[in-house]
Amino acid sequence: MKKPATLIYGLDEIPPPFITISNGIQHVGLIAINLVFPLLVFRAAGTPLDLIAGLLSTGLVVLAIATFLQAYRLGPIGSGYMCPSTFTATYLAPSLVAAKLGGLPLVFGMTLFSGVLEGAIAPLLNRLRAIFPPEISGLVILLIGLSIGTSGLRLALAPGAAPFSAAEWQVAAATLVTMVGLNVWGVGTLRMLCALIGLVVGYIAAGFAGLFATTFVAVHDAAWLGIPLPHHLSWAFDATMIAPFAIASVAAALKAAGTIALCQRMNDADWVRPEMASTTRGVLADGAATAVAGLMGAVGTNTSTPGVGLAAAIGVGSRPVAYAVAVLFVLLAFFPKLTALLAIMPRAVMVSALLFTATFIIINGIQVISSRLLDARRSLIIGFSLVAGVAVDIFPNLSAAAPKVLVPVVGSPLVFGTVIALVLNLLFRLGVKRTVSLTLDRPEGAHQKVDDLFVRQGAVWGARPDIVKRAVFGVSQLIDAVDENCRKDGPMTVTASFDEFNLDVRLAYQGDLLEFPEQRPSADDIRAGVDGMRRLAGFMLRRNADKISSEAGGGGRALVHFHFDH
Amino acid sequence: MELVEIRRDPLVIVEPRGRIDTMAAEPFGERLTELIHGGSRHMLIDLQHVIYISSAGFRALLIVGKLAEEVKAKLVLCGLSAEIKRLFEIGTFMDLFTICASREDGMAKAQ
Repeated sequence: MKKPATLIYGLDEIPPPFITISNGIQHVGLIAINLVFPLLVFRAAGTPLDLIAGLLSTGLVVLAIATFLQAYRLGPIGSGYMCPSTFTATYLAPSLVAAKLGGLPLVFGMTLFSGVLEGAIAPLLNRLRAIFPPEISGLVILLIGLSIGTSGLRLALAPGAAPFSAAEWQVAAATLVTMVGLNVWGVGTLRMLCALIGLVVGYIAAGFAGLFATTFVAVHDAAWLGIPLPHHLSWAFDATMIAPFAIASVAAALKAAGTIALCQRMNDADWVRPEMASTTRGVLADGAATAVAGLMGAVGTNTSTPGVGLAAAIGVGSRPVAYAVAVLFVLLAFFPKLTALLAIMPRAVMVSALLFTATFIIINGIQVISSRLLDARRSLIIGFSLVAGVAVDIFPNLSAAAPKVLVPVVGSPLVFGTVIALVLNLLFRLGVKRTVSLTLDRPEGAHQKVDDLFVRQGAVWGARPDIVKRAVFGVSQLIDAVDENCRKDGPMTVTASFDEFNLDVRLAYQGDLLEFPEQRPSADDIRAGVDGMRRLAGFMLRRNADKISSEAGGGGRALVHFHFDH
Repeated sequence: MELVEIRRDPLVIVEPRGRIDTMAAEPFGERLTELIHGGSRHMLIDLQHVIYISSAGFRALLIVGKLAEEVKAKLVLCGLSAEIKRLFEIGTFMDLFTICASREDGMAKAQ
């Protein structure tokens, strides 16, 4: 592992105490806004205010345990990276339904189930990638983001909700304007902590607007110091909740895998692709954390992608910072007044917080969807599934009219959208050829034909654009080198095979074998003549592919094989 | 491949467009050599419109680079797209040329 130049303090380095603690504080500040997720769930379950405060305190301890488990490497659990944990939007929609259906016991029981499931699927991530390619996992993230936004709006606009007062609209506006303003025009720490600052501004505005009139007594009555203990704990399970929590579990696993890959890339200048061992351990830790959350009376957690982004931006990725974050969470849990203050968050402030966080999740989903080449199949899958997911929210009668066995599917935007996507994905695989071929009779126009083949087929396969580019370069450069140096009469055939993990390109031509040196010829040798240029071509082809081989094919034919890990 | 030349005396900005492959590399290299032999001592090659460069293209750049060194001319490259930069990296050519991110930086460096 080579430490990148942009990283000031690497994973195993110990920064000065001031740096460790101040970084820890920044991470806690970044994650704080996501306490709105458990708060929303606890309120949906009709939980009394003082119990909510106690549960939030335990929740902070859960975040500490989760962050520690990720960094420490306890047995097979933990990637060892500085990767803070946060409460996540991923579990919000199913948790809200569970809260209304069976109260907190059902939320905690299903959260425990999700954590165990995520741990179980951690070793199967590669297979998961094949079933949940980026267009589907991105769609899941997009639907989660949409559900956060609509959950927020529901607080203000749902038919059963008390209408927002003018004061509440003003408080919501003040909160949202602060968050957005700092995010767009702020710099440095102000921008980084825009959500937390917006929250504070919202609270101040709410105070002036008198929104704490009936609730502030809970803060007044709360002790300054107190031990956070799990209490009023029981667990329930409902088979109808399996589908929504299982999908959330898969989404959390894939997201955790992505965040661990970011950590790997941040800490290793030579990083090329995700390293599966630490990814599996990281996802296992993430699942264990969610299971602990369920056991201790909290909602599901996940690795914090913005947290890793922050660490990369600052250049401090040291493991001690993770421990500092964990300690800070625990310390905050000892202040009941603080969690009581969080527990009385006015819905006006919550609406803004949810809308704000929803935007980034939605965009992340769109980015994941567009990380692969899209063709008609993929476009239809995404389009239909998105409409299906949104339809569930717009037409609540859908689930009322559905047969009982289908209610868990059509009752949840996330589940319905995902199921439609999975079914269409399986259906549209019909007719997709795993292998395609092209015969190039003449050098003229060959490059364009190669480009057209790979771009078109790459979209059909849903391949990564960067891998397709490498394949196109490899074939083009080989055509040039072979035509210039070692081709005799006859066509060249190009055959490409793809599955989710491999792109293999095989070329056959009449002529001599090309050399693929391990060292680049010197600049003088390249300048000197075609021999140096030919060896340069071979060198670049070797470096371009993940594996390269060539052999004589009999009858004067040469066979070349490029392999690209996908 | 199309070759566009822009004069900002004493600087010459050369903008190849398209593919610098086996066929295009020779006329590309010849034109750059012509410019240097013709007295140009400040040259910026803007690669922003280049979509592919093969070993032949790199050879042409290396030949011109050596010539520029011999006559003490300044030769700067700029505008490398992500893909072209990747090709420079796999060919281990990043240290053999003066490379700037933007045309503005390149112009300043080549003066």
